[in-house]
Amino acid sequence: MNPTVHIVDDDKSFRTAVGRMLEASGFHVASYASGEELLARLPSGHGCILLDLQMPGLSGLELQARLADLAPLLPIVFLTGRGDIGTTVRAMKAGAHDFLEKPASSAALLEAVERALQLCETRRLEQDRVQAFHMRIASLTPRESQVFDLIVRGKRNKQIAYELSTSERTVKAHRHNVMEKLGARSLAEVVSMAERLGRLEKTT
Amino acid sequence: MSPLPENASALICLLLVAIFSATGVGSAGAAGPVPRVLILYPYDERIPATNIVGEATRTRLLEATAGKIELFSEFLDLSRFPETRHVERMARYLAEKYTNRRPDLVIALGEESTRFIVTNRNAIAPNAKIVFGGFGSATAEELRLPDDVVGALTEFEIRKTIEMAIGLQPDARKLVVIAGSAEFDKAWIAAAQEDLAGLPPNIQTTYLTGLSIDEFAEHVAALPPDTIVIVLTVLSDRTGRNFVPRNSLEKIASAANAPVYGPYSTYLGHGVVGGNAATFESTGAAVAGLAIDALGGNAITDVTVPQSYMADARQLRRWGLSEADLPPGTVVSFNEGSLWEEYWKEIIAISVFVAAQSLVIVSLVFERRRRAAAEFQARRRLLEVIHLNQSATAGALSASIAHELNQPLGAIRINAETAAVMLESKEPDLKLIRQILADIRDDDQRAGDIIAQMRGLLKKRSEIDWQEFDLKDVIQSAIHILKPEAERRNVVVSSMGPLQGLPVRADRVHVQQVILNLATNAMDAMLHASAAERNLVFQTTLTGTNGKVEVSISDTGSGIPSDKLSSIFDAFYTTKPAGTGLGLSIARVIIEIYGGKIWAANRPEGGAVFRFVLPLARPG
Repeated sequence: MNPTVHIVDDDKSFRTAVGRMLEASGFHVASYASGEELLARLPSGHGCILLDLQMPGLSGLELQARLADLAPLLPIVFLTGRGDIGTTVRAMKAGAHDFLEKPASSAALLEAVERALQLCETRRLEQDRVQAFHMRIASLTPRESQVFDLIVRGKRNKQIAYELSTSERTVKAHRHNVMEKLGARSLAEVVSMAERLGRLEKTT
Repeated sequence: MSPLPENASALICLLLVAIFSATGVGSAGAAGPVPRVLILYPYDERIPATNIVGEATRTRLLEATAGKIELFSEFLDLSRFPETRHVERMARYLAEKYTNRRPDLVIALGEESTRFIVTNRNAIAPNAKIVFGGFGSATAEELRLPDDVVGALTEFEIRKTIEMAIGLQPDARKLVVIAGSAEFDKAWIAAAQEDLAGLPPNIQTTYLTGLSIDEFAEHVAALPPDTIVIVLTVLSDRTGRNFVPRNSLEKIASAANAPVYGPYSTYLGHGVVGGNAATFESTGAAVAGLAIDALGGNAITDVTVPQSYMADARQLRRWGLSEADLPPGTVVSFNEGSLWEEYWKEIIAISVFVAAQSLVIVSLVFERRRRAAAEFQARRRLLEVIHLNQSATAGALSASIAHELNQPLGAIRINAETAAVMLESKEPDLKLIRQILADIRDDDQRAGDIIAQMRGLLKKRSEIDWQEFDLKDVIQSAIHILKPEAERRNVVVSSMGPLQGLPVRADRVHVQQVILNLATNAMDAMLHASAAERNLVFQTTLTGTNGKVEVSISDTGSGIPSDKLSSIFDAFYTTKPAGTGLGLSIARVIIEIYGGKIWAANRPEGGAVFRFVLPLARPG
């Protein structure tokens, strides 16, 4: 599916111009006159958001806060007619991917869009991987799950056996199964998986 | 009809003879033909020097011949028309004009006239004798005059004038010699340079030429007071402006910061302290003397007109120079001392009376002027303050306006770049490109409008620009200016009221300023209101039967403390940390200038409302 650039700007003329330019460059474009309109037709799929900072109604920063939960995969490129440092810093801290000042050249806009789309792609791949991990971890039995948590915290087989009141041999068998089911080839891989899923924080 | 008596007819005969001889028409009296004398003036009728010489000559000639002489005057106007074509035209014209009345004698005043008549002698006055006057022997030699051309030589010895100046200002170390850009002026400078070669070495001499009359004045105004300034002539200046030398001198002398001297008797009484010159009257007399001798058939030779020192008593007093330091025999004019000495009691009595009377008149006039000036000043200051406030308002809104301006500029840029890319493709979508161009034009218009509004905000004027305009338009334009700022602050702006025209007569920029001021105040007042309740409402209402329009601007802020409602329009009252306290007082002044009224109130539902009324330009 083609990536979509979502333009949110209350200035119709600007919206049209940017949309036209991006379409001419081969992008799929959707445009919205306000933050509310974007929320009503919440985008999905591959893409990014070009967001005007000053708009009546939902401001750019407010919309950014909402989108962090609703569409976390879509990187946001802010556009502003007034570059003020405070706002820029806040937007960047809240995860804005880029920040362009109007009047921006189409080259600058294209570059920002392309970078944002790349980021979107990376985020999607990452998400896919995380999802795959989730599914694999879900296939562990409760006992194997316990062993997994202890492995990633760096416990040795002996310690695990002691903690689970079982024999070292049994632990070894569980450990083998865990590695098998998760498709991991090394301990390091298992730890990084756990880390990505937030499993480490949960258990410490 | 009875025949006239003998004696009556004889009387008429006598009378006719008398008339004929008096007018000189066809008179063939015993005295022989009346001599014809043509006087040539080099310049036009404005130049006093040649006029005085000419007048003195005429008077002398008429006296000496008891009026039995025919005098003609021609002004050659050579300082304004120095070009050869004019000279030739003039010669042809005079040759034609005097065909039937060839002059017996030509008097040429000044160098130019002399050169003219010597060159064109055969055409204009072939058999005439020529007498000249008004220049010195050096010039006469240069002109290589024929032997039969003689005149009254006037030696302008600039050195004598300078010696007089040094006598009066022994401490002077600086000498400035001024002359204009005309040929005559330049010749003067050259002559002066030669004449001044042997000046004491402790006096530093500057020759000032090739400037405009204003530059001359500016220069002499900056001189130290112990300088000696010599003005030769300024017949024309660097810019080509022509002057009567006396007038250019006057201008320079009145600006000068140091005493001014000059080598002409006509300069006296026009700002010079004095100088050494042959007076023009004596030149005229000498020329006339030569002419009379020549007409009488006597042999004549060049004569030299006597020179004298002249000084102006008023100028001596002005510069604190002592009459005692003047060269002996100096003729001092404008000395009022003698009158005073003789009639001092009477003068005092009359003066006291006149002074008392004048004092009353002057004080009345002065009082009136003072008041008018004060009013003028006050109004000017007020307009300045209003402008300052205008600029402050514009400054406060400039960020918003810049933002507003960046929208169309951003769109224009992207559109133009897109169109350029599209034109590169093999089959450009011309329809789309056309649409892009239309959009660019619209955005350009939009940007232009924004700039025009901004300019209106900053317009500086020292006068009120009265005009009739629709108040509704001004409100709309103010809302447009405020919109981006309002959006930034989450303020909802709305307007209510009649849609028909509300014509008022005032300065549009001033009224817009009041509206912007009240509206920005209102937005400031809502800074701490909850974001959902920030409403700025403009309302216009036609009031009363006498044709007034009321404008109200209300907010949903915290309102005005009730004890401050009466003082809020006073100058320097402010609740804002960075406020000047002038905005509202200026708003009141503006509204009152245009015959209106302004007041403030709190709304029962919270927030403040500012109202003003203005009379309608066309009531009903």
